[in-house]
This record gives sequence, C-alpha cells and structure tokens, in this order.
Amino acid sequence: MVNIFVLIKQVPGTHNLEIDKKNGALIREGIETMINPDDLYALELGLKLKERYGGNTTALTMGPSQAEFALRECLAMGVDEAIHVCDQIFAYSDTLQTTLVLKEVFDKIKNYDLIITGSQTSDSSTGQVPYQLSEALDIPLITDIFSIELKNGFVQCQRNFGHESQNIQVELPIILRVRKHFNKPRPLSLLGIKKAFEKGIKKFDFNSLNCPDSIDGCNKSPTRVVKTEKISLQRKNEIIKGTITEKIQKIIEIIQEHGIEKIWVGGAHE
Amino acid sequence: MVITRKTKQDKKSLEIDYKSLSDKRKLDNNPILNFEPNEQLKLLRYGVRKFAEDVLLPVAPIVDRDATFNWETARHLAKINAWGIEVPEKYGGAQLDSISHAITIEELSRVCASTGLSVSAHNSLGVYPILRWGTDEQKERYLPALASGKMIAGFSMTEPNAGSDVKKINCLARQVGKGFLLNGSKIFVTNGGIASILIVISRYKTENGKKGMTAFILDNTMDGYEIGKLEDKMGMRGSSTTSIYFNDLFISQENVLGLISDGFKIAMNTLDVGRIGIAAQALGIARAAYEHSVEYSKRRIQFDKPIANFQGISFKLAEMATKIETARLLVYKAAHMRNQGRDISKEAAMCKYYSSQIARDITQEAIQVHGGYGYMKDLPLERYYRDAKACEIYEGTTEIMKMIISQQILRGNV
Repeated sequence: MVNIFVLIKQVPGTHNLEIDKKNGALIREGIETMINPDDLYALELGLKLKERYGGNTTALTMGPSQAEFALRECLAMGVDEAIHVCDQIFAYSDTLQTTLVLKEVFDKIKNYDLIITGSQTSDSSTGQVPYQLSEALDIPLITDIFSIELKNGFVQCQRNFGHESQNIQVELPIILRVRKHFNKPRPLSLLGIKKAFEKGIKKFDFNSLNCPDSIDGCNKSPTRVVKTEKISLQRKNEIIKGTITEKIQKIIEIIQEHGIEKIWVGGAHE
Repeated sequence: MVITRKTKQDKKSLEIDYKSLSDKRKLDNNPILNFEPNEQLKLLRYGVRKFAEDVLLPVAPIVDRDATFNWETARHLAKINAWGIEVPEKYGGAQLDSISHAITIEELSRVCASTGLSVSAHNSLGVYPILRWGTDEQKERYLPALASGKMIAGFSMTEPNAGSDVKKINCLARQVGKGFLLNGSKIFVTNGGIASILIVISRYKTENGKKGMTAFILDNTMDGYEIGKLEDKMGMRGSSTTSIYFNDLFISQENVLGLISDGFKIAMNTLDVGRIGIAAQALGIARAAYEHSVEYSKRRIQFDKPIANFQGISFKLAEMATKIETARLLVYKAAHMRNQGRDISKEAAMCKYYSSQIARDITQEAIQVHGGYGYMKDLPLERYYRDAKACEIYEGTTEIMKMIISQQILRGNV
C-alpha cells in the first residue's frame, strides 16, 4: 500500500494573456484554465503505480477556489482523492511560500510515501517547488527517471545522468520530479467525469493547517515579480541581390558569420 | 445595501438581513431558465474536446480521403466510454443523460464528423432501442459488448423504394414455427459494414395471417445476412454506409425487439432520439467551420488590414455565431426534454432541421471566407461542407422534419 500524492497546478489555457497595466501582473480572471501540462505526466505515473502496486492516489493543489475544477479533472482521470489548499492569505505566494504551505499540509497528512510532481509550470516556469519541498520535508528528491519499480518500501529507478544512466535505490518516502513526455497521459473517460463529481474534495485553509505566522503569500514572499512584459520578436529582413551564385555565396557568408563553419551544399546522398 | 453594526439589536437585524440575502442568492442561482452548463458538463466538453483534438484530428482527413472506418480510433473511443454513453454502469457504460450525450457527439463531430456519425448512430439508433425495449436477457447479451465497443451497432429501415415513405418497406419476415424467415434488402445502412448487430425494421406475417411492422436484433454472423457494397459518398466518408441483404435469414423469438407489433413505434421513437444526435453532429461541424473562419479572418491581411475588419466578412461571422447559438439552444432543449421523459417528436425535428440547415449554410460561408484556400483540400473546409450536407438528408430529410413539425402544430402541439 503506497500513499501517492501528485502535486498539480491550474494554469491559464492560453499563452496570450493580457497584462494588467496597473500592477504588471497577468490578468487571470475569466480566462480558460487547464491543468499544467507537465503535471499530467506526474498524474499518469501516479495512476500507473497505483494500478501496478495498489495503494491510494491523491491529487493536491494550492490555488484559488476555481482550482477545484482542475482537481475534478484529476478525479476524472482516476485519482482516488483530491485536496484543495485554499486561503486568501496564500494568494501571491512565491515558490518558497508555496513550499512552506505544502510542508504544513504534508506534516498534517503524515502518511505519505511518494510525492510526484511535474517538471515545471507553464505559467511561471520556475520548477523550484520539488527541490524546495524535498528540503522542507527532509526527504530525497529523484529527477529525470525513465523507469521505476517499488519493492518492500524501496524505490528502484533508473535515472538519466548526462550520457549515463544511474540505477538508484532509495527508501520511501521520496519526491519524484517527472520529466515531459515520460508517458502518455490517459484521456478523460465519460464515466470518470461523472464519478469525479460524486467524490468530495478535501479542503485545507490557513486555520485548519495551524499555519505559523511566517506564512503570508502576499507580504512574506521573498521573490517579487516587479513587472511582466510581452516579448515582441522581430525578424531582421535583408534582401540579397545579384545572380544565383552570388546570392548563394552571400547566404553562406551570412550563415558563417553566425558561427556555423561547415555548410553542405548540393548533391543528395554524397 | 450598507450594514453598519452599532448595538446588540442591530446585530440581530443584521442576521436576518444576511438570511434574506442568502435566500435571494439561492433564487438567483436557481432561475427558471438556466443557460449555464454545470461544472460536470463543462468538464465533459473539455475532456471530449481534448480527446478529439488529440486522437481524431490526425485521422480525420485520412478516413475522409480513403473512405475507411478506423478501428484504431474505435479502440480509443472505447477507452472514454463513447460507445456506451447512456448504457447503465452495470453493463459497462457511462450512464449519462441526453445533454451529455449531445455534447459528446458535438465535440467529436467538431473534429471528425464521420466518427461523430458512427458513434451517434451506434448510441442512439443501435443501443438506445435495446435499452428502451430490450428484455433483460437481450440487455445482458448485447449491452456489455456494445458499451465496450467490442460490437458496433446500427439501425436499418431505408429500402430502395421506401425512403421518406417508411410505411412502404418491403422486407418481410414470415413466421415459420417458433421463428421468422426474413427476406429483403436494406440500403444506406449507417455502420453497415462494421456493425456486429443491426436493429432491422421489417414487415411480418404470422402463420394465422396477422401483419404489421416489427423490429429485430440481427447478428451479422447469422446465416443469410449479407453485407452489400460500400457506398461511395460525398461526405461522411469515414463512416461505413452499405446495403444489407437478407436471404432466408432465420430469426428466433428471442431476437424480436419489444412486442412483435411494435416495429413502427420503435422506429419512430428511435429516430426521434437519433435526430438529437444528428443535430449535435451538425452543430459540431458548424462550430468547426465557424471557429476556422474567425481565426482565419483575423489573420488574413488584404488591402492592408485583416479581412475580419471588412463588413462583408465580419457580418458573415456575426450571422454564423447567431445561427450556432440558436441551434445550440434547440439541441439542448430537445435533449433536456428527453431527460424529462417528454415527447420530443416536434423538438427533435426542429433541432435536426435547423442545425443541419445552418451547418450547411455556415460551412458554405466558411469556404467563402477562406476564398481559394477554402476550396483546396489542404484545409478541412470543403470536407465540412460535404459532411454537413449529409445532415440535411439522413434520419429524415429537412422536408420530412417540416412535415413532422407541422403535423404536431396542427394537432394542437403549438
């Protein structure tokens, strides 16, 4: 019986977010949302491990009240339980504040074996929470695995390490950070969707977690996003004139200027 | 309302205020007309759309080009319970309601109308009659295989000389001892080439001379069951349409669906339900064409500005959006009435007639918005147009829909 927790985040379903001109933050109200795409691989791994070894899967998120919808999606995928950590005071938490809240959650849960996360979120791309949580809970973190087995309270996994692969054995509990395209997340079944709304979602807030005063997302987050700006990419245009040979010569020169030394021209399958 | 707290008395009145406030909120959340889908329907739409874009999008142009049914897709559909939308959980289905059914078909058809058609015909024309009129034994025998997609079902009534005029069907089942011997032929059978079981509407004649129309559940493995040629269609090419021949096909009593004389009632009622499915398909196709048009007209620059900024194009978009909204309300209303177990003949005919007509209009205008690009097979617009046209014809033409609606109106169902 392994107790598997998958950390997920609800993110905007689009990359074309408008920026609030007053405070430089992204406008998240009234836009379509989705589960952070990287988290789907973590969810799929959690479900696969449960199918293989038995146990219990729980999806956990910290976010505003509408994040409940993301948890319903997790339940529809097949996780057994969902936990929603939500409080006004957690709003605007940076990764460190988020981790501190998660630590309180897991201290309260106590009985956890495997915490699985995705590699990073698509809306902030920090990828820090698994590392920080590993420190906070003082349990090992394994990243970039490509195979995993559970045996008598131990995890045996193979991990990418540059050009090598490492075989690692580690005692539970651990945190696993799953890379992109590690597996193929399952689609939502119609029955799963119906069942997702028959299950309850467990709620935690500041008071029920007995959070210390050091937790205050808005005022005590060490990281502050001062401003968010859209990047505009503009292509450089240059019209090359001359005969075909001259044009090709010029193109080769331009490419070489960019540090590419050997250019192969002409003749198929030389 | 500004509430200031001053004395104890005030606090009491404040509580009352809150209570009436919350009562008011309850009323607001439960209006007489509610157009907002609930969270479950939102997740359903999201889930099916994601599935369709993931699995159906790559195969849609291929099944259209090759005119083949894709069995790989069928297996994927089985994973999301698409073959057993309304089948009870105990038989392995999802046991969802009619609105969920319509949304599922709409989202599948938005990406691949052929697949939408196969799934819709299976669920509402093949599975539904067994659910409604089947005996427990018939349900046990067929529903688990149907819900899991191991068997695909179809429905056949149309014959070469009996299209809109369904009472003229010629297929005849003569009673022989304890069963029937069926002879005749059916044409334009949706899922004909892939269906393991077929609901067949036929005439019958008992040994003591009683006549009428009846419905049979036929297995494609029965002796005398022969699949005819695969039709080469204008659209919906990824869905298998064939003729079926019956030569001295012996049918035992346990393959009779409902009462022996219920054939016409079963056929009409099943088609009513099927029409919501066709309307949902048409709605899905229309939405696909509309969404493409909006995106393209914002991107396409002519005369130094996006063509969406020209009234000629933007009015087309406005018309499309309004038509889709109207069709959607009709479809969901018919589905809602079916959920309540009411007679849906008129509403089903209305939503089928209107949705299929606007789907044809919108897909045609969408090609116009795309200009030359829309006419090319590189873009799916021309496929949408071909697919949408079918919705105006099968399961009762638009003209028959208007006949049904007018008959209902004149009968007093105004």
